Amino acid sequence: MNTEFFNKWTSQLKKGTLSFMVLSILKDKGEYYGYDLINEVKKRTTIEIAEGTLYPLMNRLKEEKLVESKWVEQNSGIPRKYYTITDSGLAVVKEMTQYWNHLNQTINSI
Amino acid sequence: MKFKEIEFKDNNSTRIYKDYINRVKNSVRILDKDNQQEILLEINSHIYESIKDNSKSKGEVEHLLDVLEMLGSPEIFLKSLVAEKKLEEATKTFNPVKIAKALLLNIGNGFSYIVFTFLYIFLFGFLFLVIAKIINPENVGLFYRPNDVFILGHYSNSAGISYAQYEKLGNWFIPAMLLLSAVLYVLLTLLLKLKRTLKIRSI
Repeated sequence: MNTEFFNKWTSQLKKGTLSFMVLSILKDKGEYYGYDLINEVKKRTTIEIAEGTLYPLMNRLKEEKLVESKWVEQNSGIPRKYYTITDSGLAVVKEMTQYWNHLNQTINSI
Repeated sequence: MKFKEIEFKDNNSTRIYKDYINRVKNSVRILDKDNQQEILLEINSHIYESIKDNSKSKGEVEHLLDVLEMLGSPEIFLKSLVAEKKLEEATKTFNPVKIAKALLLNIGNGFSYIVFTFLYIFLFGFLFLVIAKIINPENVGLFYRPNDVFILGHYSNSAGISYAQYEKLGNWFIPAMLLLSAVLYVLLTLLLKLKRTLKIRSI
């Protein structure tokens, strides 16, 4: 098997679906901070992600107004940045889910 | 919101942590203070929360090394974030130095950024002509004669041919070039801003 090709393909797939996974997780619960969100991705999927890649993604989702963030002070003195999904984010993740299901059906029917 | 260093029991952990934080600081130093602080606080928060979550009861140094390895190299994972933030800063302020830096950071992010870089360099050609006109007023200008001569810039009259009679702008050449540069600069920067917005929308 051409493992190099397969690894590249899975890497692109993971990269492409990370925003979908993050928005799907955010839609179920009120708010998550970065590390919490990564743990949730790990818990719900078997996907290993380079943890640092989450932060550029969250910035893009925020610029697109799909998520919002706020800093919350902690007793430790090290604040957490909490993310929540916006109405626009909820609408987008609904569309994404429908498209994903459709894609899944199409692939299974081939 | 203030940055607070994480405290460790082991001196080696402190050294490893400080080294990593310095790498984060170096990776984001091209950004303005607020953006630098925002990124630093978030990465620090991630390290702190990961350190607290030591379910395998590893030693402090070993656990910290694992945490930092999982987080990745800041020079790599912050690269796209820094490039995006820099472009955001640049298109907000219209500051030419920031625009130049942002374009250099984004040059690998698509062909359009190469075109923008080329056009901005082209724009500085007009400013260069202003200086050239002051130094060599006879041979720099807009020379035009229908179906024969069209020169915007400098010509050499080493062959003994002079186009001085076809110069169209005269003393207006310098203000015209300055105006052209300014209009082109604003136009290119607005296009860059629009391009950035469209790129975000396509994610």
